[in-house]
Amino acid sequence: MSDQTDAAGRPRGIDPRGPRFAAGITALLLLVDVFLGLTTPLGATVAQRAGEPAFLLLLVIALLFLWGVLSPRTAPWGALYRSLVQPRLQPPTDLEDARPPRFAQGVGLFVVTIGLVLHLVGVPWALPVAAAAAFVAAFLNAVFGLCLGCQLYLLLQRAGVIGRERHAAA
Amino acid sequence: MLVFSRKQLAWDAVTLVNALIGLALLLAATIALGVFVQWQQGRPRRHIPHEVVEPGRLGADSLGDTATLLQFSTELCSRCPGVHRTLAAVADSREGVSHLDIDVTHRPDIAKHFHILQTPTTLVLDGDGAVQTRFGGVPTRDVLELELNRLTGETARV
Repeated sequence: MSDQTDAAGRPRGIDPRGPRFAAGITALLLLVDVFLGLTTPLGATVAQRAGEPAFLLLLVIALLFLWGVLSPRTAPWGALYRSLVQPRLQPPTDLEDARPPRFAQGVGLFVVTIGLVLHLVGVPWALPVAAAAAFVAAFLNAVFGLCLGCQLYLLLQRAGVIGRERHAAA
Repeated sequence: MLVFSRKQLAWDAVTLVNALIGLALLLAATIALGVFVQWQQGRPRRHIPHEVVEPGRLGADSLGDTATLLQFSTELCSRCPGVHRTLAAVADSREGVSHLDIDVTHRPDIAKHFHILQTPTTLVLDGDGAVQTRFGGVPTRDVLELELNRLTGETARV
């Protein structure tokens, strides 16, 4: 697995089941976090809110998202998949581009960070709502193989938020 | 003290039940959304404007003689390469059918023009370049063949 490029020098791609496996674990963690967020009353001070288990777990999830964005090859769930799960499965029929799952990790990080910040500020429900939104995306990816990040990318790009526009030579 | 802790317990039980109901609702809504989106994906839609596509606008030389499979992709699209392989295989196996894959990553004008909200999106064009069918998501090979049979049957009759 050290050589990740084909003869033409393009990225050879990754086993698409890896990101789905990782999304499954992430979805489970996020569901636990939604539960913690719903059962713990909002703390009165910033320090109290920062010490709540729901906040700490979501912080860990955010750091895992960040890891997935910065270094997808070493991210823990991907490594777990390659070392424990992949050897027991058939080889993948299709390889997929590594960039979409990486972009999706960034979207997850963005959503979860908003939840963390608003929670620290003291906005009620911010944390469980952000965790629930991230859960929906992770669950759909894990169970149905739907990539919300891809679609979001296209919408953002159409709205002119990201990407460069190359004007057609009319 | 005893009363207080009892009250606390009762409150906790209510919170717990509410939280579990919240989780169940979240899970049910997510599954419903997933089932709905998956049901929508890859379904042919025929009641669409039958616009005639000019290949030059898309940077292509020509369209297929009997039909064209016009695919829209982006760089960050996990399922586009798989659909590309399917469409290319279908086009290769049929005379007069060509496959065009347009990367709209840097062409929001094209994405806007064809109202593309997701990639892959596939349009099936007839021999005149008029849009006949639209697929959002991943179309199965059988459904694609069926659409092409419909098109070639029509042109044979005309």
